[in-house]
Amino acid sequence: MAVRRQKKKSRKQLTRKMQKNFLLVFMVVVVLFMCLFVRMAYIRVVKGTQYSNAVLSHQSYVNTAIPYKRGTITDRNGVVLATSTPVYNVIFDPSVVLSDEKFKEPTLDALVEAFSLDRTELERILTEYPESAYYVLLKDQPYERIEAYEALRKANHKVIKGVWFETEYVREYPYGSSASHVIGYTNKGDVGTYGIEQYYNLYLNGKNGREAGYYDAELNLVKKVWEAEDGDTIVSTIDIYLQNIVEEKIEEFLQEYSCENIGVVMMDPDTGEIYAMASNRGFDLNDPRNLDTYYTAEEQAAMTDEEQLAALNAMWRNFCVNDTYEPGSTFKLLTVSAGLEENLISSSTSLYCEGARTLGRWTIHCNRKTGHGSLSLTEALMFSCNMAMMDIVQKEGRSLFRYYQEHFGLGSKTGIDLPGEAAGILIDEELLNETELATSSFGQGFNVTMVQMLSAYCSLVNGGYYYQPHVVKEIVDTNGATVLENKNSLLHCTVSNSTSEFIRQAAYLTVESGTATPAQVEGYLIGGKTGTAQKGNREEGKYVVSFIGGAPADDPEICIYVVIDEIHDETLYNSSKPATQLTSNILAQALPYLGIYPDGDIDYGVEYTGEQEAGDEVIDGLLEEGGEAEVSPTPIPE
Amino acid sequence: MTSLTREDMERSVSIKPKQYYDYTLLFLIVFLVGFGIVMISSISAYNATKYYDDAFLFVKGQLRYAVIGIAGMVGVSMCDYHWVTKRIFGLPAIVWGYFACVVLQVVVLFIGHSSNGSSRWIDIGPIRFQPSELTKIAVILLAAYIVQKAPKILDHFLGFVFVMFIFLPAIGLVVVENLSTAIIIVGIVFVICFITSRKKIYYFVSLGILAAAGVVLIMKVSYRAERIDNWLHVETASGAYQILQGLYAIASGGWFGKGLGNSIQKLGYIPEVHTDMIFSCICEELGIFGAVCLLALYAVLLWRIFLIGLHAPDLFGSLIVCGVFVQIALQVLINVAVVTNSIPATGIPLPFVSYGGSSLIFTLLEMGMVLSVAKRIQYQNS
Repeated sequence: MAVRRQKKKSRKQLTRKMQKNFLLVFMVVVVLFMCLFVRMAYIRVVKGTQYSNAVLSHQSYVNTAIPYKRGTITDRNGVVLATSTPVYNVIFDPSVVLSDEKFKEPTLDALVEAFSLDRTELERILTEYPESAYYVLLKDQPYERIEAYEALRKANHKVIKGVWFETEYVREYPYGSSASHVIGYTNKGDVGTYGIEQYYNLYLNGKNGREAGYYDAELNLVKKVWEAEDGDTIVSTIDIYLQNIVEEKIEEFLQEYSCENIGVVMMDPDTGEIYAMASNRGFDLNDPRNLDTYYTAEEQAAMTDEEQLAALNAMWRNFCVNDTYEPGSTFKLLTVSAGLEENLISSSTSLYCEGARTLGRWTIHCNRKTGHGSLSLTEALMFSCNMAMMDIVQKEGRSLFRYYQEHFGLGSKTGIDLPGEAAGILIDEELLNETELATSSFGQGFNVTMVQMLSAYCSLVNGGYYYQPHVVKEIVDTNGATVLENKNSLLHCTVSNSTSEFIRQAAYLTVESGTATPAQVEGYLIGGKTGTAQKGNREEGKYVVSFIGGAPADDPEICIYVVIDEIHDETLYNSSKPATQLTSNILAQALPYLGIYPDGDIDYGVEYTGEQEAGDEVIDGLLEEGGEAEVSPTPIPE
Repeated sequence: MTSLTREDMERSVSIKPKQYYDYTLLFLIVFLVGFGIVMISSISAYNATKYYDDAFLFVKGQLRYAVIGIAGMVGVSMCDYHWVTKRIFGLPAIVWGYFACVVLQVVVLFIGHSSNGSSRWIDIGPIRFQPSELTKIAVILLAAYIVQKAPKILDHFLGFVFVMFIFLPAIGLVVVENLSTAIIIVGIVFVICFITSRKKIYYFVSLGILAAAGVVLIMKVSYRAERIDNWLHVETASGAYQILQGLYAIASGGWFGKGLGNSIQKLGYIPEVHTDMIFSCICEELGIFGAVCLLALYAVLLWRIFLIGLHAPDLFGSLIVCGVFVQIALQVLINVAVVTNSIPATGIPLPFVSYGGSSLIFTLLEMGMVLSVAKRIQYQNS
């Protein structure tokens, strides 16, 4: 610099003062530069970590969930009862379509052709939402339509743009309302509600997969796909054909009679597998909130939200598992079995029925008010004698009786694989006084569920083996490997072989010549026991009638339990006949289907030779006030 | 200077004074432009590939502008800057030039090509440029011309007001669409007057007045008030996305950067990253150290311009150089201050480095003017 000199002074030049001014400006600029440096350092030091993390989060670029497929539910033969099928949502991206003039026409053409959409509607969307990148055009489209669109797009992929698809699964129930209470339905988001859908929700639901991409340290794009894990397939023990027979027969029955509830359960006595479970309140699983079957449109319109919810809940309840009732005379089998097991009675024990007996201040009647007179143990069951049961239970005593109730699985949940199972309510041992014990002996005064009774009955007729009832046979994962198998469902032994043999014979004779003759099916040996129970308040005259039985009687392969709650019929309201008839109707069709063929000529070898007359079990007021004792019967727990 | 050997200098003693060409400044300019192209190639490749299918689109564009600009710069540096004072139809050429710029500013308001909400571009045949860039040159030249004609009037406040008044049309027209360019024009005139004046005090007063006017202007115009809000709440305000992403880049780069080409924020996160926001990604890739080096380079460049200003053969030349000095300095300061969120956001390119034809070519032409002034500096051996 030193060599440079201003030469000409003649022209106006920067004066010394001006140079100083200029230097000042330069210094200000340099100071400001330093301020900026300080500012950058400040950002680095104070916000460094926070902002660096924000940048790190930019290193992932896509993150999409791949939906899993909820598992299928099949019946025991592999018939699909519930399945998830993929459907596609058509997403329209006007911003892409409008990004180039040559995209619009071919894309709209393809959409109109593949999805039969209205062209003017598409134009409207384009003009109304030109900036949108996500417009749901259509929902739940089948794969065929997507395929058609993709074919068009492939042929002209350079100009057909701005449409993509989202996969979703919808739950489908091919059989509609069949076995609705056993299968259950799913709410949005694959939440199983009621039935197998709820109980096995964890198995049915899979895991969503994920597709993610990110930039690694070298800024290479790394793409990763974690495939979705589909849910497991559940093989239920239900036989949908059998189930349909049962539901059909209930339907037929309801055309003749009306009643509060009907429950029918069919079970394999040798495994505890439930073949069919139905009630009169089925609902369409594909449309579970539809009350049209039970209420007219006006009735529904008049409902408050609470009432509607109550109606829905009543419809969704599984009567066979969730509801309890007093079993009535079918329980007599258990009273007798307990006596036989404890050797308090034997098959040759002779009993006497005087028609009515006064205990404390209550008079208890037999179903035949004139009395059965002298009867054998078998006859006591055949003709459902209450006095005989009272004699037996007196021998057993309260603690033994109570022990056997529990021994047969009453008063606690059976552990059936369905949600919301009721445990039933038994009378506590210390409250089992003379009257309570007496009424309990013929199945009054305590509550049970259908599965409890049927499981206990099965153990009585299969040689004494108590199997846990269940509706799911096995769970198979997507690779075909068995995840869970309900094989070891034998829980304990209830009775000896000889007791079981006695019960089988008595049950057979009850159907053959006792109170359950309408349950007969031509050509088959059917065994069973009727039940007629007074409900709740004894004065109301409401009855639960039932039949529990199995076929063939000498070695049951299938057991059935029919419970009819409050028949609205003037003549048959307290008779077991409707239950036995319904059973007969069901078995007549079900047995051939199950491969149990008529064996009319094979004789069981037992025959009734007594003098009692066969007839339906009809009761008319079991208890009457009339004794002197102060003790009143324990109120029946509701 | 680098070409001067001892023999040259000795010869210059005996022969007539040797003409000077500032190769140091030329080198600094070419270096900065080259550095800008390297950074653009690193930073714009992603977006260029994504949107235009050509990773080098912006690099090629900037190279083309650089070649045109440098050729123009050398051409201008060869001319005598005094020709702008030649009279045409009784008025100096620069006055006509200034009128033309004012007319162009009016035209751009009506038929301008808009981008990002402001219409700043004008199409003349195949060329699209920002008239405000041309206005800056015209203002520098005219201000220098007027002030050197009568430096003494600036000793009075009214004289200063008179000079500012002359530039009011240009400032007024620019401020409509582009506040930051208006600030630069005001800055140019202000500093030219300040340097020439022998009185100081009223400059500081008027600086206060101008600042107040600026604040009022900002508060009155809604989109600018919004920018203030974005500036104060950069992490939460929805409109501050671009600046916040720039801050992420600066902070995540650290002291020494992630390395050339390794910016993540350039991958679509910072809008306009290769133009006004390029400094943030320079910080990310080269670190605060690299950014400081760049600032130092600008400081050296300004130092060279400052020296030329000091030694210019006449006051006119000095003031031209001073105007260019102010413009470069203000652009660097405002750009870096915006990127570091030190002031509210405004769109000013980083001289020589940011992508953009008008900005690069006109800045280079101004440097041509500086080189032209430098060329007139004559040597003699003492």
